Amino acid sequence: MNNTKALSNLFFTVILLVLAVLTIMTFSLGEAGMAGKGVMLTLLAITMIKSQLVANYFMGLRRTKFLWRAIMFGYFAIVGGLIAVAYLMGLK
Amino acid sequence: MNEHSNTINQDDLPGDFAIWIFIFAEMLAFGVLFVAYAFTRAQNIELFNASQLTLNRTSGAINTLVLITSSYFAVRGVEAIKRGLNQQCAHWLTGAFLLGGVFVGIKMVEFQSKFAADITMSTNNFYMFYLSLTFFHFMHVLMGMVILAVIIMKARRGGYSAHDYVGVETGASFWHMVDFLWIILFPLVYIIR
Repeated sequence: MNNTKALSNLFFTVILLVLAVLTIMTFSLGEAGMAGKGVMLTLLAITMIKSQLVANYFMGLRRTKFLWRAIMFGYFAIVGGLIAVAYLMGLK
Repeated sequence: MNEHSNTINQDDLPGDFAIWIFIFAEMLAFGVLFVAYAFTRAQNIELFNASQLTLNRTSGAINTLVLITSSYFAVRGVEAIKRGLNQQCAHWLTGAFLLGGVFVGIKMVEFQSKFAADITMSTNNFYMFYLSLTFFHFMHVLMGMVILAVIIMKARRGGYSAHDYVGVETGASFWHMVDFLWIILFPLVYIIR
């Protein structure tokens, strides 16, 4: 029982560390002054991973009906997709 | 009823369902603003890129790390109360609350530097979006801190148990939403160019 709890807490700590590493990657890309289609799509991909980690593991949606996870993923797919379209329009 | 929903129906959303209506409504409002920002930028790319360079990316990144850590503390608070540990739950949530305070402090310094430079919402379209999005989010952080404070006080009095922790999950869900939205806001406004 205690081992299960310890493993669960370790798992959440690993998620936190992954989120921190992805945040530092995002910041580093910004500090490097990088721009363009590839960088924009990379940043959106990193943001998608981070948002889904928070939704599924911190919010606890991984234990709920598929519908709720689909809403959270769909939200990012629509918002992130429209942001990508707007940025691609700007590159032309 | 709370006991039933917490211990049996694992398919349900964590916490009170009403908070999820609020969470989805807030996400929709922010989503519209995020997309409006992106399409407005497409019409004024040089202005947006030049104005974005005046933002403090370091404070934005630190605030992201602060919020994700705070969210993690909220998770640990929920895990503690699931084992009936009220005091431990209160400690973790106090950590989340204090980090919320750090976020607020950093954001206030950032707002102050903009206002000192005579930057307002009417300066240009970028700052209109930057100030409205970040201030709207800032208000949600404050609201989340009030919710956490109420839960912390109740937990300190031993008000929750391993069978009745809907209130803790409800507050934590709202706090995670604040984190979730900042995770999108930070790269969109501070980084992507």
